[in-house]
Amino acid sequence: MVRLEYIKKEYEKTRQMPGKWYLTSCRYKFNITRFQPFLSALKEKRLIGLKCRSCNTVSFPPKLVCGKCLTRPDQWVSLRETGIVATFTANYMKDETTGEANAFPVIAVRQDGADTTYLTQLNPKVKFEDVYVGMPVKIKWKDNTEGNLNDIDYYDCIDDPTQKMDSLTK
Amino acid sequence: MGDRQVAVVSAGFCEHASKRSDVNMAELVNEAVHNCLNNANCDIDAVDAIVAGNMPAFEGANLPELWMTDWLGARNKPLMRVTTGGSTGGSVAIAGYYNVAAGLPGIETVLTVAFEQQSCGNTSVGLSSVALGEISIVNALGLPAESAMRIFGAGAAIGIASYQAINYMNRSGCTEEDLARVVVQNRRNAAKNWWTHLKMPDYTIEQVMATPYISYPLRFGMVTPASDGACAMLYTTEEKAKDFADIPAYVNGVASVSHETAILGVGGAGAGQLDPCEQVGAVESAKLAYAQAGISFPEKEIDFAEVYSPFPNQELMWLERLGLFEENTAHLRYRDGTTAPNGELPVNCSGGVNSTNAIGASALERVAEAALQIMGKAGNQVPKTVHSAIGHGWGGCINLVTLTVLSDQPRRKWRAH
Amino acid sequence: MDKVGIVGYYQVQPSLNLNMGRYEMIFNTVRGALDSVGLKRKDVTSVVSATNDYYDGRTISNCFTVEAGGAYLKDESKVEMDGAYAVYYGLLRALSGHHKLVLVWGGSMPSCFPYSSSTLLSTDPTFERPLEIINDLTAGGLQMRAYMNKFDVPAEDIAQVAVKNHKNAAKNTSSLPESRMPDISTETVLNSDVLSSPVTELMYSQPCDAAACILLAPEQQALKIRDDPVWITGVGYSQETYYLGDRDLSRSQSMQDAAQMAFRMAGVKDAKKEIDVAELYEHFSHEELIFAEALGFCDPGQGPSLSTEISGGIPINPSGGGMSGNAPCATGIIRLIEAIKQITGEAKGYQVKDVQRAIASGQNGFCAQTNMLFVLEGGSK
Ligand SMILES: [Zn+2]
Repeated sequence: MVRLEYIKKEYEKTRQMPGKWYLTSCRYKFNITRFQPFLSALKEKRLIGLKCRSCNTVSFPPKLVCGKCLTRPDQWVSLRETGIVATFTANYMKDETTGEANAFPVIAVRQDGADTTYLTQLNPKVKFEDVYVGMPVKIKWKDNTEGNLNDIDYYDCIDDPTQKMDSLTK
Repeated sequence: MGDRQVAVVSAGFCEHASKRSDVNMAELVNEAVHNCLNNANCDIDAVDAIVAGNMPAFEGANLPELWMTDWLGARNKPLMRVTTGGSTGGSVAIAGYYNVAAGLPGIETVLTVAFEQQSCGNTSVGLSSVALGEISIVNALGLPAESAMRIFGAGAAIGIASYQAINYMNRSGCTEEDLARVVVQNRRNAAKNWWTHLKMPDYTIEQVMATPYISYPLRFGMVTPASDGACAMLYTTEEKAKDFADIPAYVNGVASVSHETAILGVGGAGAGQLDPCEQVGAVESAKLAYAQAGISFPEKEIDFAEVYSPFPNQELMWLERLGLFEENTAHLRYRDGTTAPNGELPVNCSGGVNSTNAIGASALERVAEAALQIMGKAGNQVPKTVHSAIGHGWGGCINLVTLTVLSDQPRRKWRAH
Repeated sequence: MDKVGIVGYYQVQPSLNLNMGRYEMIFNTVRGALDSVGLKRKDVTSVVSATNDYYDGRTISNCFTVEAGGAYLKDESKVEMDGAYAVYYGLLRALSGHHKLVLVWGGSMPSCFPYSSSTLLSTDPTFERPLEIINDLTAGGLQMRAYMNKFDVPAEDIAQVAVKNHKNAAKNTSSLPESRMPDISTETVLNSDVLSSPVTELMYSQPCDAAACILLAPEQQALKIRDDPVWITGVGYSQETYYLGDRDLSRSQSMQDAAQMAFRMAGVKDAKKEIDVAELYEHFSHEELIFAEALGFCDPGQGPSLSTEISGGIPINPSGGGMSGNAPCATGIIRLIEAIKQITGEAKGYQVKDVQRAIASGQNGFCAQTNMLFVLEGGSK
């Protein structure tokens, strides 16, 4: 670790008291019945989003409220299995055996046909260096779907038609 | 109605450091309050009302304004606390403005105070709990808690900044050296300002680039520290302003337009910001605040900017979104020295949030430093005369933005009533 | 002060365990308020909310409520106190001339967090929190004892206030169902579980899930929206010192200061004669008496002899007050809504006759450390 020097001043110490924010005692309520069609679709390996009738914004995963119109969207629309990487970052995880910190890409996917992003994980075999904004990805389902978000195993890269075009022009 | 012109007449700080172990929260706040009142040559009796603000989750103390009543000078006085995440200080500044501008009888001089003693609490708990509600939602939808925590934890704070950095570099062609250049300028400025935290007068781009990545493309040497600190600012009416200061800084425009959350929203709200460095909220805030201040050409009319940028890429992004530089050119202005203290548009001469970050106080410090530059009393005063300046702040999942426009002249009476 | 009109309001039915998520509750409240006057979201220029990071169990509790709260691309802010303080901030925004329609909402869900232990977190962290003695209940007990001792008031008199409020709550359809007790007697109150002696369970405003929203508009704009807005003509607030030992708990200095400020603004000289009804946020029954004395309805210690029934000389809390359900961050707004209902004649079943001028209050802190008071007037003057 590189140490950075800066002008420091030492202060004397005062008494310290223990204190805690008991976050674990908080519960969060969420009415899942509204999302039931979405979850049932996942079980059938289908993707659906919620469309706001007044501004045509499609949200995936479905959103309870359309902020633009302050209405409750209620129209389910089908989405394709492909999407693009809207943005991404890395998650550094320590390898248990070697103790090395490895970068795992975490991506925000915009599903084709939807207008919002979903934070999810990329195929762990894809190297972080190879990810870029605008990269096309495709959903990889779990073999046994149960009707929840966990049915999406990860997103996998697919061939990028724009890159193919770039190579042709070269 | 609404014709009352508001002026900033004084600002005060306490010394910022990573651990102000010599004082508790209340005493820390009191230092800033004292400094502010001393600078205005008045005592607490001159104050009619108080606005306070911090992010209580960072210290583990709920409603801190109640037990620090006496240290804030609020005994038997009206007090209100606003809190909006990272933009808390900016919201405090705006609430202070509205308290005076509303023209309620008996409320003319208002003290605004923002503070944070991060060494009291666990900053990472504070930050990761931003998304706890969303994590619980995806958990309810079937994603195992562990992987939800991992994926969404990456989206908090530095994660969001790295998303922004990736998108910004992608669209503007700015390099990692450019980011380092921003950091170096900030840290060197901080060395000239008495209250700042990371004073590094000899910092170089090479030193920054030698530090490891924390989250690509942000390096260890680029990120903001966690500081203990407080800031106070005194507002009053145009009529009373000259009693406190020779050159008051008039508040001519305020705005805090919020956008939907980026990245983290699930179920209830958000995640409609496809590009986290687009920042529609900041663009709209700028429009609103400049319109109130009667500024049509911000790039020409603004002389000084204090923007809230814990991470260097954000400084570049905000300067563009707030209309001070053309799209995707901010990093070029850092290369040619426009933003240096002796440049055409000095930016963050206080050292910025990149050098000192007492989260709740940071955005108020931006407004306070902008005001001090106009008043000619800043710690790192720029050589040119500052006529108009802005103080900016952001918070939440890059969705809450505050902007205050200050000037040495009262607002033009352009609004028809 | 220029007048500000309240043009619309809405309140979610309080419940001990509301069957909705947080965003849904907020959305219903805000949508309901806009629908109550037929306005659209685009008419709103500013949004002020009242929530609390600790009650919501997350940092930056207004971060994800932007859309549900109607604040998408609007000038937005959050006050982390009782809802009445958010209304005050909304009022400032309406008065400043920058905003035409300000939406104020507040609310939380105590069914999702332990309310009393979260109030422990608002004690002085250096001296009081490690001892874990003071929380809102014990502070209430200390205050009630101080009041009873100072003025020789028997516990029955204070129980009588709780009886009145629970009976009033029974007539109010928007009260917490569990708080409606038409057949309650002083014995029932005194014999209910002791929370912190001498405070018993039925003298304590029970935390419940709810949210409330009101719409504020400056005078000219308000008259464009409706012919009969209720006007805010006075506002006052003040904060006392924190440590209970430094205060005279048998009286409320902050309410007295707030009343002085608000009454001066509204031109009220004799509160007892000029105020027709009062909606006070009392956390404990004895606070209603202390407030009534601080407001100048009677001399100190004479609170129990006031006639505060719905048909009485000075009706206090015809809706049931804090006893009719205490939703942290929303109660102040709900008191305001109840006062509006009294002025517009919408309080079916608990309507006070001929209300021209009403007051509503909100509070925060132990033993009502800080108080906010609004003076409301009817008539399209
Ligand atoms: Zn819509």
